[in-house]
Amino acid sequence: MAEKRHVITRRDFLRAGSCMAVGSMIGWPHLERAALAAGSSRVVLVRHDGVVDPEGQVRPAILAAMLDAAVVALFQANDAAEAWRNIVKPGDTVGIKTNFWGPLPTPPALEDAVQKRVTAAGVRPQNMAVDDRGIRSNPVFERATALINMRPMRTHHWSGLGTLLKNYIVFVPSPWAYHGNACESLGSIWNKPEIKGKTRLNVLVMLTPLFHGIGPHHFSKSYVWTYGGLIVSADPVAADATGARIIQAKRNLFFGEERPISPPPRHIEAADATYGVGNSRPERIELVKLGWDQDLLI
Amino acid sequence: MRLACLLTLLGPLIFMTAETSRADPLRQLGGSLPRRVNGWAVEGRDRFFDDKTIFDYIDGSGEVYRAYNLRGCLSRTYSKEGGPAIVLDVFDMGSAADAFGVFTHDTDGEVIPIGQDGRWRPGWLNFWKDRFFVSVTVQEENAPAFGAALELGRQVAARIPKEGPRPELLAHLPPKGLQTGTIRFLHHPVVLNYHFYLSDENILELSFRTDAVLATYQRGSGSARLLLVQYPDANTARRAAENVRRHYLPDADADGLARLENGKWAAARLKDRRLVMVLEASSRESAANFLRELKLTEGG
Repeated sequence: MAEKRHVITRRDFLRAGSCMAVGSMIGWPHLERAALAAGSSRVVLVRHDGVVDPEGQVRPAILAAMLDAAVVALFQANDAAEAWRNIVKPGDTVGIKTNFWGPLPTPPALEDAVQKRVTAAGVRPQNMAVDDRGIRSNPVFERATALINMRPMRTHHWSGLGTLLKNYIVFVPSPWAYHGNACESLGSIWNKPEIKGKTRLNVLVMLTPLFHGIGPHHFSKSYVWTYGGLIVSADPVAADATGARIIQAKRNLFFGEERPISPPPRHIEAADATYGVGNSRPERIELVKLGWDQDLLI
Repeated sequence: MRLACLLTLLGPLIFMTAETSRADPLRQLGGSLPRRVNGWAVEGRDRFFDDKTIFDYIDGSGEVYRAYNLRGCLSRTYSKEGGPAIVLDVFDMGSAADAFGVFTHDTDGEVIPIGQDGRWRPGWLNFWKDRFFVSVTVQEENAPAFGAALELGRQVAARIPKEGPRPELLAHLPPKGLQTGTIRFLHHPVVLNYHFYLSDENILELSFRTDAVLATYQRGSGSARLLLVQYPDANTARRAAENVRRHYLPDADADGLARLENGKWAAARLKDRRLVMVLEASSRESAANFLRELKLTEGG
């Protein structure tokens, strides 16, 4: 074993009073440092009880209205057009990082809504692209000056949760190199020069989140529910931490007992504490709640 | 004449294809699987993946199968009008030990007498048999689909001619209080950390050349978690033991026991090529007892 920094063991977490082994979101050994260094982050949670119809189909008009309401609240703008002009400028080249995962992809209606709004803000269509697995060879992403990141939240085999942070794993040539220790180092991807500082908006899709996974494909319709929400923020860590709290609450409710997300989504805390990407602690998150408030879970 | 020439040219190729099929246990099994089950019929062609292309098929957990020496995966979908799709995945793990190992990665569910150690939970049937790990996923559960999934599982199990032995290392686990559903057989540090987070470095020097078994015990009101690792050689075992002493149990007493920060006890002991760890025990006495019991079965 290479001689290097202090090896972090289970005992470090026990020493910090952490319940990491049972999935707590607190107790990361380096968290205090980041908490002192960072300001707070605004996160908007917007919900609508009719955004998903009884057949499970997304209603595009309602989804677009939710997105508009969220960005207005996030940027404290007078209207959505003004908010989008804060997000992108006409001279920008915009990569819209989506997620194509088969059972639970980013809804095409959301991709359409974002593209229309980016275009309306003055970005030329040829300077905008929506992509997932192909971003490393996509010419728009190669010269992107701005990124918009959006994906559904779901439990994930290695990282505990499929998050906004994890959505950027395909920016690196060897994604599997980030699977160690429950994908703890995903936050480091966000500090790469070609990515750092470019993400203008994160949209965590919580319309029908997956709160538990089974089998090789980690999916069963038994473990999704209609939450009808979007979590929107400029801070991916704060958005992910908020989504994680909702998923954890749903698991506890569904199973009738404390059922920690497994493995614990350490990468969210590490993105805060180790990599300084954003805020994971609730006291550093200003959560704005809009719309449908039944079974909010947070 | 043309036909004869064509046969002459293609003959070796046809022979090779047939030979490959015969030599590849997964393709051989695939050829014998049922085409229809309870009204569900095969849709499309079988798809085959290897340890590199598995990521094209399974996003995320493909690495679990690679961590157990995946040789190949056959995927087949069964469909029925008005019914949910049923997906059959057969993983050839190359050995019974690794088929068992990948099965132990997730042992939740109701025990069901299909294959070896069959398990059912809403939407998923899985079992292992010989060198194969078999998964039957129902996209949306209903009674007919549930019945079809079970029947498909039974038929697949029946076409795998023999059962496989469990890894030899399991025989060294003390039987008293062993929670059999918690046994995990593994090689890879990422898999160990998934079940029991130990450290961010591979201090145990786990690799494809090491076998490890993790298990939970319940004795009265006391509980414990044990880890046994068998190394390919004594030098690697010694290095691992030294790493444990230095990074995990630097405060161990003369008997090799240390009190953890949560009040539980841990210990490690090396014998030849085997490292035994009591990862967590309710009391010092319990940890010492486990070490003693494990000592009886050391060796190898």
